[in-house]
Amino acid sequence: MTNAWLYDGESALRRSVRLGARDGMLEIAGEDGETRVAPADLVFIESRTEERVYGRKDVLGWRLGVPEPVADEIAALLPNAAHYGGWIDRIGLWRASAIGLAVSAAVLFAVYQLPHWLAPLVPDRVMKSYGDAMVGDFGGKFCAGPGGQAALDALTRRLAPDVKGLNVRVVDLPVVNAAALPGGNIVIFNELLKEAKSPEEFSGVLAHEIAHIEHRDVAEAMVRELGLGLVLTTLGGDVAGNVHGLLSLSYSRGAEGAADAESIAMMNRARISPAPTAGFFERLAKSEDMIGGADMLVYLSSHPVSKGRAAAFRKGAAKGAAYTPALSRDEWDALVDICHNDPDRQD
Amino acid sequence: MDETTPVDMKTGEFADGVTFHGRWQEFLPIALTNLLLIIVTLGIYRFWAKTRERKYLWSRTQFIDERLEWAGTGKEMFIGFLIVMAIFVPILLFFQFGLQALILRGQGVLASVLAIGLYLALFYLAGLALFRALRYRLSRTYWHGIRGGSDDGGWSYAGSAMLKYIIGFVTLGFLVPWAMVKLWRERWGKMSFGPYAFEPGDGPAVQGLIGRYLLIYATPVLWAILVFALGMGTIFTAGSNPDPRVMAGMMGTFFLAVIGFYALFSLVSLAYYAVFMRKVVGEMTLGNLSFAFNARTMDWVKLILGNIALVVLTLGFGIMYLGYRHWSFYVRHLEVQGEVDLAALTQSTTRIRSDAEGLADAFDIGAI
Repeated sequence: MTNAWLYDGESALRRSVRLGARDGMLEIAGEDGETRVAPADLVFIESRTEERVYGRKDVLGWRLGVPEPVADEIAALLPNAAHYGGWIDRIGLWRASAIGLAVSAAVLFAVYQLPHWLAPLVPDRVMKSYGDAMVGDFGGKFCAGPGGQAALDALTRRLAPDVKGLNVRVVDLPVVNAAALPGGNIVIFNELLKEAKSPEEFSGVLAHEIAHIEHRDVAEAMVRELGLGLVLTTLGGDVAGNVHGLLSLSYSRGAEGAADAESIAMMNRARISPAPTAGFFERLAKSEDMIGGADMLVYLSSHPVSKGRAAAFRKGAAKGAAYTPALSRDEWDALVDICHNDPDRQD
Repeated sequence: MDETTPVDMKTGEFADGVTFHGRWQEFLPIALTNLLLIIVTLGIYRFWAKTRERKYLWSRTQFIDERLEWAGTGKEMFIGFLIVMAIFVPILLFFQFGLQALILRGQGVLASVLAIGLYLALFYLAGLALFRALRYRLSRTYWHGIRGGSDDGGWSYAGSAMLKYIIGFVTLGFLVPWAMVKLWRERWGKMSFGPYAFEPGDGPAVQGLIGRYLLIYATPVLWAILVFALGMGTIFTAGSNPDPRVMAGMMGTFFLAVIGFYALFSLVSLAYYAVFMRKVVGEMTLGNLSFAFNARTMDWVKLILGNIALVVLTLGFGIMYLGYRHWSFYVRHLEVQGEVDLAALTQSTTRIRSDAEGLADAFDIGAI
């Protein structure tokens, strides 16, 4: 017989009781007779100095204080001590921490990858409405000098004969940049045409942007930047509030590398040499060091330039391949002057 | 020893009924493992961590002849949190996206009406949260196997709290002490432990409070006196002197003066809060027990400065000890007098609810 104390959960009186084990049940004998409790109904409450306290699942406030050391036959009926809660006690703190760490890492990875997985789910209709809204923002700034658009479209078709619905336009803004917008839209900023020394250099940049559209990188970047906002648009919300800031969509390093690779492949298929584009990137890389090269830096900020990029384009040129000029002399001149010769240009 | 020992029917008279037996060294393993598990679960373990912390603090708190026991669970707090998120996320989404969409569609009036309505709703929920946090804590606190609680849902309290704070606001804050005392009494007046209801007192609400409260309004004046007394007056006169060293000195004193203002404002506010706590706790009784709270302004200042020093010196780990410090502060300064008739202290008949402290957690407010 083990002596113990009991609060019955009905009154605050502490009663003295004796414990025994009978038929696999805990027998509690007090002044008012005996009760039996099944071990499954007992819960561990806490360890105190020289005693352990147990409760009952079915009676709130019922507390049994058992002095230590507990006789083996009684201890066999009592639940184990709990420390951290539930399953952590069952598998141990360190193993639980390791599992938690692994699951957390997986969750963080999934959150990071989520835009990539969700991008294909964004309806074309939504991409189109974002694209239209953004293209609309440029308003009268699109250039339409004679022959320029025709040359640009011809180059686009040559680079990507299989990509449907591309809409490439030149915008009269003094920044060295090009951007793939939602809905198959690509905008080339006028200053980029002036920086490019040849149509081949420009082809690499154009092919790079086409590759972003082909890979649905735009949709992925939009999911990342807009998150829930995009979901709401999909459900019939308004795009207007979201358009701002999308121009600076940034892609992951992996997506940039893949776009470069695709761009080189595209140029080889079109029999345009990718090597000259390397020169363009090298000039950009040099201006990275120049404080005055702010205009060039615009391209750098959205397209990280590394020495490796230029090298990839240079190596991408197949030896002995029969490359042909990207555009004729006249076509290239018309394209470079597309804004200058624009009859409708609003100055 | 076969015979049952005689039962103590009463606790008898005593002078100071509450003692804290915790030791920070003893709490350290709990704090460390809580931090570890919170990190590896991306914060989800927070609720179980809080539960373990309370189980420790309650079990080291001796009330008269017996320790308290915390019977809450991490699971119920987590569920409470999920319920609150289900209420909050739609409201936050509306503020984030819906409002803008409405304005863009030219529904400006509708948007502002909805926004004001939702702000009032949040205000109402804050009052509800405070009430429910207190009710939850009492209903999970056991002593001699007996718990507390309330059968009131706090709905009318939350309305009253909203109204009283609006009154306090439109009277430029002058009625805030009145609102605070009234609301304390309303809140605790609906709480009980075992068969006994808390009696929060019904004397003049702001007696003894107004003097210190008005001191808060006088802070700018006190600050100006302090600034001039310490010779910081240069910041008001040296503005025309272009000497960089004078300018640098001026910036320094200006910086000191700004810090000084915040320090003074906090000090005066704490002075008011100290007297507020002494008053409202001192007015409370439960059965034959009466309570007192003896923390003075300097005790509060030491608590706050100690918290800051602890968190800064431990590079943030000290945050794990703030709950410990606050609980031990309240326990050490709480006094209880009277006696408890244990035979008459029967189990609470209030309903046990499982809404935990989700609401209060979401608003980041404590129960007291």
